[in-house]
Amino acid sequence: MSEARRLSSGEAEGGPSAPRLSPLAWVRDRLGWDDIAHLAAKKEVPIHRHTVFYYLGGMALFLFLVQVATGILLLLYYRPSATEAFESVQYIMAEVPFGWLIRSIHAWGANLFVGVVLLHLASVFFLKAYRAPREMTWISGAILLFLTFGFGFSGYLLPWNTLSYFATKVGTDVPAQIPGIGPLLSRILRGGSDVTGATLSRFYGIHVAILPAITTLFLGLHLILVQKKGMSVPPSVERERSPRTMRFVPDFLLRDMVGWLTAVGLLAALSAFFPYELGRKADPFASAPAGIRPEWYFLSMFQALKYLPAEIAGVPGETLGVLFFGALAVVLVGVPLLDRGSSAGRPSPWWNRLAAVALLGALLLALLALLPAPGEATS
Amino acid sequence: MRTFFAVLVSSLLVGASARATPEARPAASVGCVDCHLALDDPSVTPPAKAFADDVHARAGFTCASCHGGDPRAEDQEVAHDRKKGFRGKPSAREVPLVCGTCHADAAAMKHFNPSMRVDQLSEYRSSGHGKKLSQGDETVATCTSCHGAHGILPVKDARSPVYPTRIAQTCNRCHGDPALMAAHNLPADVYAQYTRSVHHEALAKKGDLSAPTCNSCHGNHGAAPPQVGSVANVCGTCHAVFADQFKASPHWEAFAELGLPGCVTCHENHLIVHPTDAFLSTGKDSRCASCHEPGSEGAKSAAAMYADLLRLQKETGAARASLAREAEAGMEVSRAQFDLARADEALTKARADVHLFQPYAVEKAVTTGLTVARAASAEAARIAREREFRRKGLFVSLGLIFLAIVGLVAKIRDLDRRRVSGGP
Amino acid sequence: MHITAAEPDQSRRRWISYLLGTSLGATILSFLYPVLRFVVPPLASEPSLSEIELDVKASDIAHNSGRIVPFAGKPVLLLRTATGELKALAATCTHLACTVQYRAERADVWCACHNGIYDTNGTNISGPPPRPLAKLDVNVRGEKIVLRRS
Repeated sequence: MSEARRLSSGEAEGGPSAPRLSPLAWVRDRLGWDDIAHLAAKKEVPIHRHTVFYYLGGMALFLFLVQVATGILLLLYYRPSATEAFESVQYIMAEVPFGWLIRSIHAWGANLFVGVVLLHLASVFFLKAYRAPREMTWISGAILLFLTFGFGFSGYLLPWNTLSYFATKVGTDVPAQIPGIGPLLSRILRGGSDVTGATLSRFYGIHVAILPAITTLFLGLHLILVQKKGMSVPPSVERERSPRTMRFVPDFLLRDMVGWLTAVGLLAALSAFFPYELGRKADPFASAPAGIRPEWYFLSMFQALKYLPAEIAGVPGETLGVLFFGALAVVLVGVPLLDRGSSAGRPSPWWNRLAAVALLGALLLALLALLPAPGEATS
Repeated sequence: MRTFFAVLVSSLLVGASARATPEARPAASVGCVDCHLALDDPSVTPPAKAFADDVHARAGFTCASCHGGDPRAEDQEVAHDRKKGFRGKPSAREVPLVCGTCHADAAAMKHFNPSMRVDQLSEYRSSGHGKKLSQGDETVATCTSCHGAHGILPVKDARSPVYPTRIAQTCNRCHGDPALMAAHNLPADVYAQYTRSVHHEALAKKGDLSAPTCNSCHGNHGAAPPQVGSVANVCGTCHAVFADQFKASPHWEAFAELGLPGCVTCHENHLIVHPTDAFLSTGKDSRCASCHEPGSEGAKSAAAMYADLLRLQKETGAARASLAREAEAGMEVSRAQFDLARADEALTKARADVHLFQPYAVEKAVTTGLTVARAASAEAARIAREREFRRKGLFVSLGLIFLAIVGLVAKIRDLDRRRVSGGP
Repeated sequence: MHITAAEPDQSRRRWISYLLGTSLGATILSFLYPVLRFVVPPLASEPSLSEIELDVKASDIAHNSGRIVPFAGKPVLLLRTATGELKALAATCTHLACTVQYRAERADVWCACHNGIYDTNGTNISGPPPRPLAKLDVNVRGEKIVLRRS
């Protein structure tokens, strides 16, 4: 240890008279490991009554990595063509050793991941962690949220079963409502005018290549910003006194690992007790079964669009709905820029109320969407 | 008279065949048609119009070929001269003879259609229609009743009244007329019954031209109902397996003694519906109960066969449902489902074996099927157990994770304690 | 400060670290085991809907004989004619879906349920079947037989 420290402080770096390093010390020296270790050792996490919410970000990252790992494993057997996709997933579930486990973890993990991301978003919002100087962290985080939804939507189609086929049909109808570029956008998404094998190929490419590439960029930015700016302390705590801190390594990290292991245990339990069913292969010529609905994180938007009247002041209701949600997305991204008050230290009760109303509304809509549709079997 | 007429017609035919192709036909040979068309009279113009489509016209025949007379004469008296062989509209009794002049003459037919049969006239004479006609009944069917008189089309032409899908309607023209049928002591609802049968469904709806219609069982020209003893043979021309089984069964001799019409006894002659297992039951669809009294040997045999068939159906259905459940959960069941098809085949065979009217035969076929169905159910249960096993395997990993969490918590508390007591 | 308490403290520390290390290691191994098993492909070839390689060898099928093989969950009759040609026909009878069989004594394809008869090209020649049997492409690579939908 001390030998390496001596070396990193500027002494002979591999010159002819340099003392020999152990292999491990050599790798650490060339990678500049000690600088990183030094930075990590410096990272401190404030301890206060809201500390528990700090775990959500790391949990989201962990679950993302679980998705990447299980996704890469599934890639080894999955075939992205309309004739073979369903059969390949069936093969994974039935023939490949532990294929059922990997696939179920990936499917349940997706839901858990989105849930944790939403909780992370809510906690960051209500704890005002987006105040200056962390605005870019929030913006990159909002973009990561949209990327997460993209992962969920594109991945849902890949098993090519009845539910996912029709849910995608309904889902890709929504962008078509955007005035002007809507139909073109829908065509680009679908790879044609209808949901077909071309859509499957496209969604597969989006799910395993395009979104991961973009996510790597934004996730990297997000994480770097979090390290550079440090952990934000909520205003209510700040006002009282500066809180004490704990070291990130090893204290916070060990606690993080407890959470991560619990998540893994939960995923394994879900996979064994509630294995993700495969259903029936999609038949584009069959009529859509009653009660088609998208994944739970899209339910509120789906239900809201259903309530809109066909026309409002000459404009199609769905178009207005889509535009409204687009505006909501813009507002979400721009929260730190819009809520200048909180950056100046002033409390922002109206923002909190607005967010609470939005959340409750979304929850209500989602619950309404879960009610059985007419003609649907309530199983 | 008949000989004279035959000579006259054949001489005209020889002349007609000499001018075979329609293009080569001189204008004078269609003289009848010109005049008859120009007359625009409902009794003489339609035939002239229809003849243009006639298969005989295409072969070079003219009106005079059958009606006699002089087609080149422009004066009606001359054209219709009896001395020139004109005979006007043939009577019902004369029609078969007119047609038979060519169609019963192999040498003549060889000129036009060498593979066509020439025994229609002799068959007709043996038919119910032919016999009645020879006794003087002119209300029965003759050649023109079914084939038409002037726009005669080949049988293979879908517009022909004797095309397979249209034969039943053609027969129905007379056999559906209540007054006419009453006069001959025949039922008038045969067509109504036939259209509700599986044979009609196969022919008219599924387009299977090999499915039977009136002529398939009654004959074409020698049309007569099969005798009681021949029914099994007639049905057996297609349903060979059942006919063989029936002939080997105790019902064969019993039915013959009782004068019962074989297959028709249980399956009806025209209203042949899709048979169901319920034929063997004691309910409203029962066929056995009409002869076998409750408690008799026959009734017991029927009940045994019925029970066997139902059991196989139930087991196969249950196995199929279990496999489907596992499939929906994502388990691999295709091999088991493939093997289960043997059970369906066993059921089909068992249903065929019913016609042996020996319960042991049905039982044998059913047992084969039950073995397959039970094996499939066992496979489904094994697959379900494998799913359960996965749950149990999980507890091992959960245990390890729990242990790891305990380890982590212990480490955390230890670090905290050392921190509090002023350690590193 | 805690010199007297150092020894039991040290052993406790060691014990905890040992527990943590072992349990974490065992947990990671319990994750790695299914992953490694997953990566090794199973022996059963992947079910394909359009083309499969059969387990039976080309030399196993004698002249003037036939057998049923599964193809995408449905039975297929693989037969070799007396002249040595390999043919494959969908083995589901077009009448009422019984499985047909090859009859060597008559060199035809027969359905035992209702006496339906097809020739070796699949054409329905006698009995109730309304349609011929579908043909499949047979390709032979050495001993391997590959069936493909036409």
